Amino acid sequence: MSLIKRALKTWLLLELLRGMALTGKYLFKKKITVEYPEERTPLSPRFRGLHALRRYENGEERCIACKLCEVVCPALAILIESEERDDGTRRTTRYDIDMSKCIFCGFCQEACPVDAIVETQEFEYATETRANLYYTKDMLLDVGKRYESQIAANIAVDVPRKG
Amino acid sequence: MTALYINDEEVTVTPGTSILEACRENGAEVPYFCYHPELSVAANCRMCLVEIEGWNKPAASCCTPVAEGMKVRTQTEALEKDREMMMEYLLIHHPLDCPVCDQGGACKLQDYAVEHGASHGRYAEMKRAVVDHDLGPFVSTCMTRCIHCTRCVRFADEVAGTGDMGVLDRGDHMRIDGIVEDCLSSELSGNLSDICPVGALLDKPSHDVSRPWEVTRHKSTCTQCPQGCDITIESRGDEVIRIRPEKDGMEPWICDRGRYVYDAFRSEQRILEPKVRESGGLVAASWDDAIGRAVELMKGKRVGIVFSPDWSVEGLTSIRLLNDAVFEGAKVAFDLHRRDMRSFAFEEGLAMTTQQIEDSGQVVILGSDLRQRLPVLMQRLRKRINAGKPVSRIGAMNYRTNTEPTKDSLIRPRDWSAVIAFAMQQVSGLGKTAAGMDAWMAGVEGRHEAGKLLADALMDDSCALLVGEEIRSHEDAAALIYGLDLLMRACGHAEAGKDGRNLISEGMNPQLLSSVFGDVRTSAGELFDAASNGELDVLLLIGSDPQGDGLFSVQAKQAMDKVPLVQVGAISGQISEYAEVQLPAAAYSEVEGSFVNMEGRIRVAENPLSSLGAERPLWKVMMRLIQDMGGDIPAVNLDELRAHVIRFAPQMEHAWRSSDELMITAARNNTATHASSTKAPSRSLDLISRYSMYREGAWVRASDLLSEAGCLHALDDVLVHPNTLAGAEGERVVRTSSGEQSVHVGSREDVVPGVLFVAKRGVAGDLSSESEVDFVGGAA
Repeated sequence: MSLIKRALKTWLLLELLRGMALTGKYLFKKKITVEYPEERTPLSPRFRGLHALRRYENGEERCIACKLCEVVCPALAILIESEERDDGTRRTTRYDIDMSKCIFCGFCQEACPVDAIVETQEFEYATETRANLYYTKDMLLDVGKRYESQIAANIAVDVPRKG
Repeated sequence: MTALYINDEEVTVTPGTSILEACRENGAEVPYFCYHPELSVAANCRMCLVEIEGWNKPAASCCTPVAEGMKVRTQTEALEKDREMMMEYLLIHHPLDCPVCDQGGACKLQDYAVEHGASHGRYAEMKRAVVDHDLGPFVSTCMTRCIHCTRCVRFADEVAGTGDMGVLDRGDHMRIDGIVEDCLSSELSGNLSDICPVGALLDKPSHDVSRPWEVTRHKSTCTQCPQGCDITIESRGDEVIRIRPEKDGMEPWICDRGRYVYDAFRSEQRILEPKVRESGGLVAASWDDAIGRAVELMKGKRVGIVFSPDWSVEGLTSIRLLNDAVFEGAKVAFDLHRRDMRSFAFEEGLAMTTQQIEDSGQVVILGSDLRQRLPVLMQRLRKRINAGKPVSRIGAMNYRTNTEPTKDSLIRPRDWSAVIAFAMQQVSGLGKTAAGMDAWMAGVEGRHEAGKLLADALMDDSCALLVGEEIRSHEDAAALIYGLDLLMRACGHAEAGKDGRNLISEGMNPQLLSSVFGDVRTSAGELFDAASNGELDVLLLIGSDPQGDGLFSVQAKQAMDKVPLVQVGAISGQISEYAEVQLPAAAYSEVEGSFVNMEGRIRVAENPLSSLGAERPLWKVMMRLIQDMGGDIPAVNLDELRAHVIRFAPQMEHAWRSSDELMITAARNNTATHASSTKAPSRSLDLISRYSMYREGAWVRASDLLSEAGCLHALDDVLVHPNTLAGAEGERVVRTSSGEQSVHVGSREDVVPGVLFVAKRGVAGDLSSESEVDFVGGAA
C-alpha cells in the first residue's frame, strides 16, 4: 500500500507542486525586503552604533574624566587623559576610541554617570583605512553635535523602561 | 598574653591591645575610618562596632582593650544594621561625587558604602557645603567630602608636630580648619593625602590626572637623603604619577622632598641623550660620538673623579672598577661636605636602627638640622619627645623641630672641642675614662658648659649620639669625632649591641663607600685645587653638582675654568655649563640595583621604571668607558658586577641570595687617634651653611614643586644673632679668606651669637665655602 502511495507521489510531482504553491503564494503577498540604502529598517532606541560625546545645552562638555568607561571597556578601545582645568573642574585632555577594537557592547554607555558617552544609531561610518576608524575627542564631540536631538530623544524613551 | 575569642576562634594577643588591633592581627574584618595604627585613638567614626558577649550594647572596638576570655563577634545581623545606619549618617552630607573625586577607586567610604551601606539614601533635605582651604602646594582640599574622622588633625599634632589643623564647631557645622591657612609648615605634609580615608585631602600635583586602577607600582628606594626610605613609585606608562611610602615598609611616612621630587624625572634638566659641546652649546650626539669625545679628552691624561654617593651599590662599584682599570692612581672624591679627610674614629653611617634610636634611654643631636636633613628620623624623635623620653641637642642654631627638645644648648662651632672636653671632665670625675682621654682633654684649652648636657646623657644605660653636619664638616672633624668616640667608650656606649656612635652621612651607601673607596678617596676641595693648580688634566663628574651643592663651589668653579669636564649623570645641575660631554645614566627609579641606607639596611630594587630616553644604567656606561679607553671589561652582567661588589665589601655577600633583611655595619677605626687642633680662629664669626631639603641637590633644584615649597619655607639669605649684627639689617660687607663680598643679612634670635648662618646656600653663593668670616665695619 505504502509502495503505491509513494509511487503516486513521485510520478505526479506532488511535492514539487506543493513547493511551487508556497512560492506562488509569496509571489503575490506584500514584500518585506528592505531596499537598503534607499529604504531602512526602524532601529531600537537602544541600538548600539557609532559612539558620541555629548555636551550640555550650555555648550559645556558632559564628560568629567572619571575613566569608568575606560576601565569597563572589555576591548581596551578607550584611552583617556585628564587634567584639572583652570576653573577647577576635572576634564579630559584626550578621549580616543579605536572603533576597530570596539565590540559595541555598550558597557561604556552603561558605566557613564553623566550620559556623556553614548552609542548612537549611526552605523554607516565605513572608511577606506583603519586609521580613519580611530576617533579622537573632537570627532566624537562632532558626532554628538550631529546626533544630539536623536540621542536625547532615545534617552528620553529609554528612561521609563530602565525604571 | 591575653586569650579571647573572635568569632568563636580562640586567639592570643598582648595585653592592652584593642579589640580592633586583635581583629586585624587575626584576619577578622572590621570596618573603620578614624583608626590609624600610627595615630592615637579618637573613636569618633563609630564604624568599628563589634558585639561582645555579656555587654548590652555594641562596643567601639578601636578603644576597647581586650580582656581575658572575652567573646567578640564581628559579623552579626544587628551589627550589619548598625553599620548601615552609621554609613547613612556619614553619607548625609557627603556630596557623592565619586566620579570626579581622585580618591574614587581607593576610597574607604566608597568601599564601605558598597559593603555595608543601604542601596539608596533617604535624606532629601539640603546638603551642606564647606569652604575649601589652601593648604600649600602639596595638598588640595574638598572639605565637603570630609567625614570628620580627625586623622589629619591627629597627624598634624602627633606626627608633623605643627598643629596646623583643628576641628571647629559641632554637629552639622563641624569642620576641619587649617589654623595656618597659607601653608602647612611641615616637611611631612604630603602624607596628609595618604591618611585621609575619603577624598577631602588629596594630592595636589597629581590631582585629576589618574585613577588608582591605572597605575603600575614599582618598589624602589628613595635616595634623596641617607634615610633611604622604602617607596612605591606609581606610574602610568613611563610617567610617574605619585611616590608613596611603601605599605608595610620600615617607615609609615615619607618626607615631601622624597615624595615630590618626581617632577624632576621629566624636567628639562634630565640628561636623556648623549651630548657634546659644539660651538658653545651642548648638542645631541650618538653614544659612539659622545663616548669617542670623552675618551679623546681622558685618554692618557691625569683624571680626577668626583661622584655622587647616591648611585646604586652596583653603580658605585663600577666607578671603582673604572678607576682600577684605566685611571690607576687618579684622585677620587665623593663627599662635598667633608673638609677633614683624616680617618674618623667612627665612620659615616648609623650604628643603630631608627627603631633602636627611638627606644634608647637618651638621644643627643650634635649639630644637625635634623628636621631638614632626615625628616623621617626627626619624626621618630618627635614621637619620642611626645612620649616623655629625653632628646637633647647641641648646635649653632635653634633649628625648628616642631617639638621642643628636652634640653637645648647653643654653641659656636669653634667651641665643639671645649664642649667635648667639658663632658670628658665630668665623666672622668665620675670615674669613667678611656685610654687617651686625658691626653685629648689636655690638648684643649677652654671648657664649655654645654658639655654638661652631653655628660648627663652619657650617664644613662643607653645613649644614642647623632653626630651631624656641623661636626662632620668641621675643619677639625677627625679630632672631634675621636673625642666623642673616647667619651662613648668611657661610658660603655661603644660595645657591640650597645653602640650608640652614629655619624649622619652625606648621602646614601655610607658603609659601602668606606669599604669600596676607603683607600683611594680624597677631599673634593683638594681635588678641585689640584685641577686648578694644573696637577689634573680633566675632571670626570659622575652625578654630582659641586657647583650648586656642598662646601667647595668656589674651588669647583676655579677648577672648571682650568680643565675640561666630562659629565655622566641623570640630572645636569648647575655644573653642566662647563661640561664638554654629557653621558646619560639612569636615575634611581630606573635601575635594577641595590641601595644601602645610613642604618646599613640593604634593599634591592628589582622592578624599575622603563627609561625615558637613551640613558643606560651607570655600570653599563662605566663598562663602555673602560672598553673604549682600552681596558679589560671586568663585568658584563649584574651577577659578575656583584661578585666585584662582594670582593670590595664582603658584607654584601648574601644581599642578593637571601630574601631576609640584611644589615651591614659602619666602619670603626681604632687607630684614628687625633688630637684637637690648637690653631686659633682667625676671624670673629664662624660660618655655618644650612642644609635645606627644598634646595639641596640637583634633583630637588630641577623640581618645580619643591622649588615652590622652598620659597614658602624660605628664611633670610644670611642670618646672625641681633647682638652680633651691631647695626641694621640689610646689605653688609663680609671679609673672608678669599676677599670681601656684600650679602643681605637678617637677624634672628635662634642663631647663637658669633655665628654667620647661611640659610640659602645657593643664594649666598661663594660664602658657603668659608668656615670663618668677619663683618667689615663694626661687628661685635
